[in-house]
Amino acid sequence: MSSIPVRRLSAGIGLRLPHIEEAVATSPAVGWLEIHPENFLSNPHAMELLDQLAERFPISVHTVGLSVGSACGIDRHHATRVRALIDRIDPVLVSGHLAWATHGAEYLNDLLPLPYTDETLRVVAAQLRQVQDALGRTFLLENPSNYLGFAGSTMTEVDFLTALVERTGCQLLCDVSNVHLSGHNMGYDPRAYLDGLPVDAVRELHLGGFTAEDDEATPGAQVLIDTHASRVADPAWELYAYAIRRFGHRPTLIEWDNDIPDLGTLVGEARMADAIAAGAREPERSHVGAR
Amino acid sequence: MLALADVQRQMRDAVVGGDASVAVLLVGGDRPAGRLAIHQRHFEASLTAAVMGRFPASSWLVGANRLEAVARQFVHACPPSAPCIGEYGEGFPAFLAEAAATSHLPYVSSFAALDWHLGRVALCTDGPALGRADLVLVAPEVLAGVTLTLQPGLWYAHTGWPIDDLITLYLTDTAPEAFHIEPQDVRLEVRGSRGAVRFTRLGAGDFSFRSALATGESLEAAALRALTADPGFDPATALGSLLDSGLVVAVPTSPGGVLS
Repeated sequence: MSSIPVRRLSAGIGLRLPHIEEAVATSPAVGWLEIHPENFLSNPHAMELLDQLAERFPISVHTVGLSVGSACGIDRHHATRVRALIDRIDPVLVSGHLAWATHGAEYLNDLLPLPYTDETLRVVAAQLRQVQDALGRTFLLENPSNYLGFAGSTMTEVDFLTALVERTGCQLLCDVSNVHLSGHNMGYDPRAYLDGLPVDAVRELHLGGFTAEDDEATPGAQVLIDTHASRVADPAWELYAYAIRRFGHRPTLIEWDNDIPDLGTLVGEARMADAIAAGAREPERSHVGAR
Repeated sequence: MLALADVQRQMRDAVVGGDASVAVLLVGGDRPAGRLAIHQRHFEASLTAAVMGRFPASSWLVGANRLEAVARQFVHACPPSAPCIGEYGEGFPAFLAEAAATSHLPYVSSFAALDWHLGRVALCTDGPALGRADLVLVAPEVLAGVTLTLQPGLWYAHTGWPIDDLITLYLTDTAPEAFHIEPQDVRLEVRGSRGAVRFTRLGAGDFSFRSALATGESLEAAALRALTADPGFDPATALGSLLDSGLVVAVPTSPGGVLS
């Protein structure tokens, strides 16, 4: 496996099951791979193939099922299963979402929004500590894609994430496309959002495609849906360049989960991310050189 | 602001049950209930697609539109209990048995169960199998009481319909214009590994023996079951056949020792 420091990795791709045999056969030219453990825990054959890839690529484990925001607690059985996978493949990063999905004995298969209040902060902070203890890793928490907020929220999402970093030692996965999409949907400035995040805590960036639909909430307007079903859109690329200037180089991932294209298209998107990141850093270099 | 648990109960009722009363707590656009529909649609569409993806042969049998309508009812009535969505849907065959849309197909539940397990065992991975020579390492005095560990990609089903013949029409794309199906006593062994699957009909004795072993019964107990089902059952021949088929991956040799 590559010995490049995680922080310096070139862009990676989300590894989805339709591509896994081709990835084993061809070792695509990307810096790293990210998996959803939920796709592998019930698929021993895919797990066997993942073992081979883990010998060649840095792997990131991005869980969608731990539900750190559920008032009923995290899914401890699932955390145990994810821990076993982590111990097996030794990933370079472990991450998940600021959201909730579990309600009692039901898993709702969505990343549902949280009210940003003192109570929620206490609940999520306690559960993030449980997650980090259960997984034995620092957990990177991803900012959600928002269509809704709560009138009763008493703090911004950025303040909420920052407080979680301070209280738990967790770090952040900044999904740049989510920032763009949520800024559009909820009416805030995406750049101001990025400016507010604690730079040192941001360890990974995500980019994914979204879909514009008529907004049932506001006639004549459009809402952006986080479908991961298309190429990264230009406004998200522009915001990504801004994020690189703000945070510096960070391992960046291309996510594509629906209407999945051929592997080469994903590799092309990853190369685009590398090119944009390199271009975004040029002014910095020129500036430094002129001093 | 309501307590977090109350907010989430209301949100759950909106997503699963369609009760939008939580919308008064929300912001997003001029009419937040419109945005709530995004989550409601995602819940239904993503899980319905997951169920449909696990029952391709049932979709062929029942018709995609009809099966999808039942799958939509299923996801609202029986949401997943865990995040590994690949494991979701095991209860769907039983749900189909009760659904009005498929009540004209008395074998639909058995057929869907076969469909489900074909998909499940295909994802399993065979381990190295033990052979007849390995079994001589087991002390004769403990052999009757041992429990064998079989390959993970196995499923045994006793049904009243020739669902194997029916699903073969789907798998080989050889369905005739009309197919007459009559009740029939069928005992199936379904085996899969690394993407490949196959199913075999077994006689009453072998079926009882192998299915009992698969549920963790001892060799002696499995053989007694088989003899009850078929007085002519020969345990030694059946055990040899089981080993020759590569189905045994581990056997305890003595208390605390395991041969694998």
